[in-house]
Amino acid sequence: MKYKEYFGEFGGRYVAEVLRPSLDALEKEFLNIMDDEDFWTEYERLSEDFTGRPTPFLFAENATKKIGGAAIYIKLEGLANTGAHKINNALGQVLLAKRMGKKRIIAETGAGQHGVATAAACAKLGLPCTIYMGEVDIKRQRPNLFLMELYSAEVVPVSFGSRTLKDAVNAALMDWAGSFEDTHYLIGSALGPSPYPGMVKTFQSVIGKEVESKIYELNIDVEAMIACVGGGSNAIGFFSPFLEKDSPRLIGVEAGGTGIGEGEHASRMTGQGQKGIIQGYKSLFLANKDGQVLPTHSISAGLDYPGIGPELAHYGETGRIEYTSATDSEAVEALKFFAKNEGILFALESAHAGAKAIQLAADMPKDKAVIINMSGRGDKDIFITAKLLTPDKWINFMRNEVSEYEK
Amino acid sequence: MKNKLVCHLIANYPDFDQSLKIAEALASGGAESIEVQFPFSDPSADGPYILKACDEALKAGFTVDKGFSLVESIIKKTKLDVYIMSYANILLTMGIEKFVKKSKASGVKGLIIPDLTLNNDDGLLNSGRKYGISIIPVLTLTTPLKRVDEILFREPEYIYAVLRKGITGKSTIITEENITFLKYLSGKKAKILGGFGINSRDQVKALTPHLYASVAGTVFVKKIDEGGEDILPDLKTMVKELTTDEL
Ligand SMILES: Cc1ncc(COP(=O)(O)O)c(C=O)c1O
Repeated sequence: MKYKEYFGEFGGRYVAEVLRPSLDALEKEFLNIMDDEDFWTEYERLSEDFTGRPTPFLFAENATKKIGGAAIYIKLEGLANTGAHKINNALGQVLLAKRMGKKRIIAETGAGQHGVATAAACAKLGLPCTIYMGEVDIKRQRPNLFLMELYSAEVVPVSFGSRTLKDAVNAALMDWAGSFEDTHYLIGSALGPSPYPGMVKTFQSVIGKEVESKIYELNIDVEAMIACVGGGSNAIGFFSPFLEKDSPRLIGVEAGGTGIGEGEHASRMTGQGQKGIIQGYKSLFLANKDGQVLPTHSISAGLDYPGIGPELAHYGETGRIEYTSATDSEAVEALKFFAKNEGILFALESAHAGAKAIQLAADMPKDKAVIINMSGRGDKDIFITAKLLTPDKWINFMRNEVSEYEK
Repeated sequence: MKNKLVCHLIANYPDFDQSLKIAEALASGGAESIEVQFPFSDPSADGPYILKACDEALKAGFTVDKGFSLVESIIKKTKLDVYIMSYANILLTMGIEKFVKKSKASGVKGLIIPDLTLNNDDGLLNSGRKYGISIIPVLTLTTPLKRVDEILFREPEYIYAVLRKGITGKSTIITEENITFLKYLSGKKAKILGGFGINSRDQVKALTPHLYASVAGTVFVKKIDEGGEDILPDLKTMVKELTTDEL
């Protein structure tokens, strides 16, 4: 086996029989492509020409000086086409689906980043796609909805449950149960029933491999690598070459939201995560004493999810990955800090990792380095950040736009 | 003659007392047995009507404890066999063995848990054996026969056959494919329950020779959704109509 189905006790394939044949077929094809040179040649060609890989690796010199501790490096994954790491996985899975002869792609999206990546990859590779998106998310993510539709994806609103990301996953699973013969379900994070966690990690591991070669090239002494953790795809890909080694420290940052109360955060590892089987995999989830999933909150829609990928949960239990959380306001401070000092715009998700890096680097010696994975860039967030940071000006602008339009 | 029908209802939908009355109405219409669904926040194998009903049952304050008291009351009042249908996380959170034990103590006949399947069931089948509760596997038309055989090899007392591809709540047409599948299953020992999208007497009638019993659920949920006390006689009539051979 070249990928794992279980990670300690987490993972597995807890799906109704109706989905089993399609997962079996997917697993088989995934194992086939793992050492198929043609597949990887095409994947790498598109990664270069279409995605823009390798993404830059920046020495954040100004930030380092200002903080006065360890050297800070930033993997600028957000400079990939469509603005986040999500494209690595979308591209890989669409290529795989084409090889399986699938005629249609379905996906879920929360913030819309995975939806945008999927829609773009489908446009590039010529497959129609349907994206499920909760009604609540549609309301707050109009710009990404517009982009998906521009790439000619069909976006289907999800009107049940909490009408957010987790419900979009459920809707996609339901579609797939009836459509798997010609349809591939392109899951957006390192979670779900096997083979998804292992497969998504494989496609995201390009991040970690590029970082590893930079570490050698620049000969830096890395003390810690820091990534934000929603479902966990950017983190697992970024950490992948180092998971079986003892160093550097690997640090996952969850959404601390506005507080530690129920519904105020999305901290599974540092909060009250409990063992569960949800959406096809066993891991840690935010749920009540009966096992009903609890509401979550984060300023960043990408971290606003009640579960965590099974491999990340496992490495949390073994201690290889350390978990911590950053609050909404810490993330916003980090966003401002790196914008001002480095000319780099973090996605709100990634800014959670940035926030913890600032704190950690301060206490580390100067000859050490920390690496942040900037999983996405922050252009997508301006409807949240501009409203928050310059409310009057932003609202005026919006008013103007509307009155211009109504003329 | 009467065709056997398992009637599916959602615990605590629209509320506790009404769901008990619904069970009684279904029983008085001639239900063969009752399948009580314990709502879960993130079900992955329910059609839109059941989904919405589960959402509402949760909002109305469903808890697993309430679910068990409902089941106990249904058994007491109707004297029918009762099965619980739910999802893995509800069992896992309580502890799978504990859930099975509690089901037994409540008088439940069997459990239908679609996302705990053979070799991925965290000990459910073993607990079922230990406490004498039927663990009812859910098979679909697309389940490979090799897998079907593997499942039947464990000699389940019942199997639940899903007679439709997908789960989007559209009506099921009884096709040649369905009948072939059911014929394959009926060569085996298990009693076959068949359902998903059953809403007419003709369907039940067509299925009866191939099944131990048909299962219907969404058709009742749609009725209950209309609301009011007076749905109870309607539900009773519906069961009668679905199960009688000749009108
Ligand atoms: C920029 C960015 N970072 C991180 C995430 C969180 O996902 P994951 O934990 O799978 O990387 C998202 C999800 O939408 C995202 O858009």
